[in-house]
Amino acid sequence: MDDDAEAAYSRYAAEQWGRLVRAAVFLGAGPHEAEDLAQTTLVRCYAGWARVTNADNRDAYVYRMLLNCLRDQRRTRWWRGRVDVPTDVLAAGERIEDTSEAVAIADAVHRALATLTKPNRDVVVLRYFVQLSEAQTAAALGISAGTVKSRLSRSLARLAADQHLLDLTGESR
Amino acid sequence: MTDLERLWEDYPVGPAPAADILREGRRRITARRRHAVTRPLLAAGTVLALGAAFLTGTLVHRDAGGSGAGTGTTAGQHAGPTGPSPVAFQADLPAATSCGQLLSSYVDRGLARVTAWGWDDGMLGGLFDDQANVPLPSVAGSAASMDGFAAATGTVRQTSSATGTNVQEAGVDEPDTVKTDGHLLVRVHGGDLLVYDVTGAAPAQVASLALPRVSDPELLLTGSTVVVLGTDSITPAGADGHGTAGTRVLTVSLADPAQPAVADDVAYSATLLSARQHGDVVRLVLSSGLPDLGFVHPTGKRTDKEALAANRALVQHSTLADWLPTYDAGSGSSQLLDCHNVAIPPADLGLDTVSVVGFTAAAPTRPTAIGLAGAIGVAYESADDLYLTGVPQTSARCPGCVQPLAGPAALGPAPDGKTDVFDFALYGDTAIHVATGTVNGIIADRWSMDSVDGSLRVAVGASSTTADANAILTFRREGTRLVESGRLGGLGRHEQIQAVRWFDDLAIVVTYRRTDPMYAVDLADPAHPRLLGSLKLPGFSSYLHPLGHHRMIGVGAITAHERSTAQVGLFDVSDLSHIRRLDVHAFGTGTTAVAGEDARAFTWLPEHRTVLTVIRHGRAGYLAILRLHAGRLVTTTVPVGHGGDVDQARTIGLPDGRVLLVTASGVRFLAL
Repeated sequence: MDDDAEAAYSRYAAEQWGRLVRAAVFLGAGPHEAEDLAQTTLVRCYAGWARVTNADNRDAYVYRMLLNCLRDQRRTRWWRGRVDVPTDVLAAGERIEDTSEAVAIADAVHRALATLTKPNRDVVVLRYFVQLSEAQTAAALGISAGTVKSRLSRSLARLAADQHLLDLTGESR
Repeated sequence: MTDLERLWEDYPVGPAPAADILREGRRRITARRRHAVTRPLLAAGTVLALGAAFLTGTLVHRDAGGSGAGTGTTAGQHAGPTGPSPVAFQADLPAATSCGQLLSSYVDRGLARVTAWGWDDGMLGGLFDDQANVPLPSVAGSAASMDGFAAATGTVRQTSSATGTNVQEAGVDEPDTVKTDGHLLVRVHGGDLLVYDVTGAAPAQVASLALPRVSDPELLLTGSTVVVLGTDSITPAGADGHGTAGTRVLTVSLADPAQPAVADDVAYSATLLSARQHGDVVRLVLSSGLPDLGFVHPTGKRTDKEALAANRALVQHSTLADWLPTYDAGSGSSQLLDCHNVAIPPADLGLDTVSVVGFTAAAPTRPTAIGLAGAIGVAYESADDLYLTGVPQTSARCPGCVQPLAGPAALGPAPDGKTDVFDFALYGDTAIHVATGTVNGIIADRWSMDSVDGSLRVAVGASSTTADANAILTFRREGTRLVESGRLGGLGRHEQIQAVRWFDDLAIVVTYRRTDPMYAVDLADPAHPRLLGSLKLPGFSSYLHPLGHHRMIGVGAITAHERSTAQVGLFDVSDLSHIRRLDVHAFGTGTTAVAGEDARAFTWLPEHRTVLTVIRHGRAGYLAILRLHAGRLVTTTVPVGHGGDVDQARTIGLPDGRVLLVTASGVRFLAL
């Protein structure tokens, strides 16, 4: 990677960091795991950057990568155990300024989104929260745009109807 | 949702550990290079007999059928779903000489792709199949030639199609949830087709019809026949999104508008990539994806090696029925493609089966179909030609290296940075492969391509082998090759193309990183595309719409604090070397302009000098009514629903000047 490309990559990583971590949390990761996943995702993107840098659906690629990392993590989870601790060589520990707040929010989010199936949750997170376009969401998830549309409207209706959401935030704020 | 939105924003995130990421990224790239040496060769030894199918039939000349709808067909071509088209492949794509040859091509390439986890590390194929999907351009805009327009280089007014849809190409209609012929209006709502009479003082619903066995339907309208296209709800993809969703085509007769009736019902076992209508001919591009062969994966009792061996055996024992799509017009399922009508593509093309299907609205049960045993990314259709871009094979088997996984191959061209473009000439309901070209760079989507008088122009993004900037390329057909005849590079270094608008002899291109450079490119001499002028502004336009010779609208966004704000700009394009922005209207923080993703959410009403475009704010949707007055945009908004309904909001200008607003809650006239 030449200097220009690396500068562009760094800028992209810095811009996306917040969205990636939040997306990982909303997809079901704990706070430490979320930062690990965001980091692993960006590291993997570095390797493919030349192919990604000018691709129109770069964001779709990056979030697909995040989903793959999450899946890989889950695949090995049964023998690593489910404890949310910084596991990676790139220790994540001190970057979360207020761990307790992050834990509380992640917890509330996980409970709120538990009413959705995983495919529906993926759509809501990528389309609604990350604000990918419908086409990007479809590309990231490998489903049709029509399916994105129908899953999103079903899920949003479901969430809107969910009374649990009303007392969600009592403890996190 | 507001609680969840607040949690999203409240979640504490520190700064990115940029140094760690860079260090680790560099380290893994080094590791990857070491692994690359041992990477197995893919499909080694496959030598293509170029031009083998060349002499199998009589060349059909473009002027034989003209460009009118249906003129190129003969009775003989309607013999069945695989109607004989011995001349379907007249260029360098060789048709399979036998079913055995076709199957071994699938198996060989399948073996190169299968892993211990199934296709590509357990992600089923067809990953980015939908990037070229029908309704959703991320790069927008094209205008075709207008009869009698012979003025100097410049923009040309474009209005919606005859059925009220804002389309890419004049004369080539696109499916939508609403269609009208000026008297009747049809729309899909829930699972129903609703029919309205729009000739009175208020739209009156005259009938509704439940649409059977189809989900997420969209419509085409030709004469008094509605063609309904949607996902087959009988054989849907698995709940996890894996597997290939089928496509169902229903035709509904409006001969008696009060009694609409399903005339025909045809199911295809492949996913719809693109649907277009030209006259009474409907053309579909379908992707079959990779077959679900019941793969195993490593478990506590099964090692990686055993799982791989089992999966390889499954590929080896697959049959053509696993790979080729089927078709069912009600009398049982049969194979859509005859082996001899399937071309075996170059070895580096990804694995898939793409079907190009044509039929007339009156005879949907008798389609003609040809196939390409490879993966395509983008389908662009002009009145006379269908262009498909190739997607290269992913190198799934690279043990231990940091693979960009399954998707990215579709993101860009092969490692050599080139994209194949296959040109199919269209004659009525038949398509004939007439030429292949190679584009150096990445073609983002259908809006990046344009064809005028049979010559192709393409806006490309940078690839690994081009300079890091975008370019405009022009191609001419020489025999069976598309040959690059002109190139203008250097458009937006390190930037991505956001929007392109094509005219006979002009392209307007928007790229973006932080500002919005808008370039005007003179294409009057295709061999020497020339930069006329550029304009840089904050934000960017993702959809461009020419209002006429002097004015253009750009719909886009400006980004601040990771939140984008929709904006609409009015541009003066009367002097292309000095494009000026006359006015801009920014909407509230967190808004997005739906037209940036779906041009169908945009309508230009010249007689009212008014632009209508849908703006989303959180779950809520608004129709922005922008009236041009003395070089300014005078803006008002009207609510158009919530959630998924926002994407369905449409506006249609009727020939008599009245304007319809169609939302989930109904159809009404809009007072302007």
